[in-house]
Amino acid sequence: MFRYSSAFVWLGVAAMGLTTLPAFAQTPNEVLATLKTAAAGEPNFQEFSAARGEQFFKVKHGKEWSCTSCHTDNPAAQGKHADTGKAIQPIAPSANAERFTDMAKVEKWFKRNCNDVLGRACTPQEKGDVLSYLLTVKK
Amino acid sequence: MNQRVLVWDVPTRVFHWLFALSFAACWYVSESDLWLSFHTFFGYLMLGLIAFRLVWGFMGGHYTRFSEFLYSPLAGLRYLRQALSGSGARYIGHNPAGSQAVYLLLALGLVVGLTGMFAQGGEEQHGAVAGWLAVSTGIIFKEAHGYLAIVMLLVVIGHLAGVAMESWLHKENLPRSMVTGFKEAAQGSAVSKPHYGVGVALLAAAIAFGIWWFFYAWHEPVAKHLGYGGAQPGLHVAFVGPKLPDNAKWRDECGGCHLAFHPNLLPARSWQKLMDGQNKHFGTDLALDDATKAAVLAFLLNNAAEHSDREAAYKINRSIKASEAPLRITETPYWVKKHAEISDAIWRSPKVKTKSNCGACHEDAEAGTFEDAAMKIPK
Ligand code: HEC
Ligand code: HEC
Ligand code: HEC
Repeated sequence: MFRYSSAFVWLGVAAMGLTTLPAFAQTPNEVLATLKTAAAGEPNFQEFSAARGEQFFKVKHGKEWSCTSCHTDNPAAQGKHADTGKAIQPIAPSANAERFTDMAKVEKWFKRNCNDVLGRACTPQEKGDVLSYLLTVKK
Repeated sequence: MNQRVLVWDVPTRVFHWLFALSFAACWYVSESDLWLSFHTFFGYLMLGLIAFRLVWGFMGGHYTRFSEFLYSPLAGLRYLRQALSGSGARYIGHNPAGSQAVYLLLALGLVVGLTGMFAQGGEEQHGAVAGWLAVSTGIIFKEAHGYLAIVMLLVVIGHLAGVAMESWLHKENLPRSMVTGFKEAAQGSAVSKPHYGVGVALLAAAIAFGIWWFFYAWHEPVAKHLGYGGAQPGLHVAFVGPKLPDNAKWRDECGGCHLAFHPNLLPARSWQKLMDGQNKHFGTDLALDDATKAAVLAFLLNNAAEHSDREAAYKINRSIKASEAPLRITETPYWVKKHAEISDAIWRSPKVKTKSNCGACHEDAEAGTFEDAAMKIPK
């Protein structure tokens, strides 16, 4: 009896999925392009580098946490908030289609997380490096 | 010459045994929060049965009509004295003492059921009268419910003792006649009609109610237990109830780093203070812009503890001194008291990690309801 009713639920979900495909405001590449426009205006701009981004993501910057404290060494895996233990969905766009699709959200979390990890805001260069790295991470 | 006479018609027998079952089932799980919806199911069933019996007392078979056993309490006592001295006359229907038990059990069942309904409607804001009463009134009804249930238990015990005594005194098996409906009686005694149709309808109604309740309250936890339909297996009987006020912006802004703590868990003055200090939020700068901050704050204030009819909200709010505005739910006296018995080992376990990780133990933490029945400590 349950099996039938859950089958109906899945049919319903599938039908809804077909009719309302998720409409994201931006793609990660568009977010990257926006970051690039901002970064290119800075004095010591260098082309974004995934290697530098990976380095930045994985080391500590003089405080207790690195980005991996919450997002783990593998950006395609589920993370866990270092303070509260709350699960954090993967941060790599390959593993989580919602990531880097809303510039305001991206900026909000960069602001908070950079503050926690570096004690300051991240530069557009650093943000672009990180996103370049995250875009190379395969699922 | 004696003959076998139908005394208890089918509906009365169905009523009797379902009533007894409901009473026993309610008692059996009365101490268990997890089985609360099982308890309330039998409570409602009992109320429905009593309603039926009251009508049936005017329309039923000969011996089940109230007019057939209208004895005063005094007559009941007199009969009891005679029976104890071994000289009580034999009645085919209810004897004067047994009649008192019938009336008392119907009346007590009614008030126990109703006080239970009002306790649940006030305290948990659940059930048929959800929202009719304040939490504080619900708590009074719950006290009354408990005491009346004990009185009812005493009457049930008295009834069983009376049945045993009568069976022994007149050398007949009274419980069996409540199953078969038949008794030995003198030729020419009145006979009840069986009323099969009504009996079957009553039984069918009770079963239909049970099936409906199953899908209402039990389907989901049972499905989870059997391994489909949910992420967390577990066989607690979850409580279903009204959803709390919700807000997408609040969930989005306050549910990223931790559970979005529902506004009903702190009073308005605490939320005001917390949002005033949002740039120093437990060591983090939330960096909310003014418009976002105002929108989230409005939702928090409008649904704060003092504006909520939840039991937890009421008790948390009442426990905080008026001069204080704690920023942590986990520092409010009520929360501290409720969680005092949890061992350090559990708090430190990787599945819990911090006190504010409510979802580790409360399955309904996201919804903010914190039902008694949705609580379990992770193993
Ligand atoms: C204290 C824990 C924590 C640390 C440390 C942390 N983050 Fe995050 N991060 C989060 C949480 C929580 C979210 C929001 C999760 C969600 O939306 O589900 C998030 C989201 C993000 C997002 C938003 C992505 C999007 O579009 O949804 C970015 C970008 C991000 N983090 C980058 C970083 C970088 C870079 C660092 C290191 C400088 C870092 N984080 C360190 C907890 C952390
Ligand atoms: C950037 C991450 C972050 C965001 C976003 C956030 N919080 Fe917090 N919050 C924390 C941390 C870290 C703690 C401390 C957790 C602990 O000690 O277990 C905390 C604790 C709390 C507590 C106290 C919990 C307790 O111990 O009882 C409340 C209440 C709270 N936050 C409310 C909010 C509200 C309301 C919002 C939305 C405006 C919000 N938080 C958004 C990080 C965050
Ligand atoms: C380690 C497991 C655990 C965590 C984490 C936890 N609780 Fe509880 N909670 C319990 C237990 C166990 C009880 C039952 C205590 C009792 O009945 O005496 C309880 C009872 C409660 C009650 C009372 C329910 C009632 O009506 O009797 C409320 C409200 C509550 N918790 C809220 C919270 C909130 C809010 C959080 C997060 C800030 C939280 N709990 C975190 C285990 C936990």
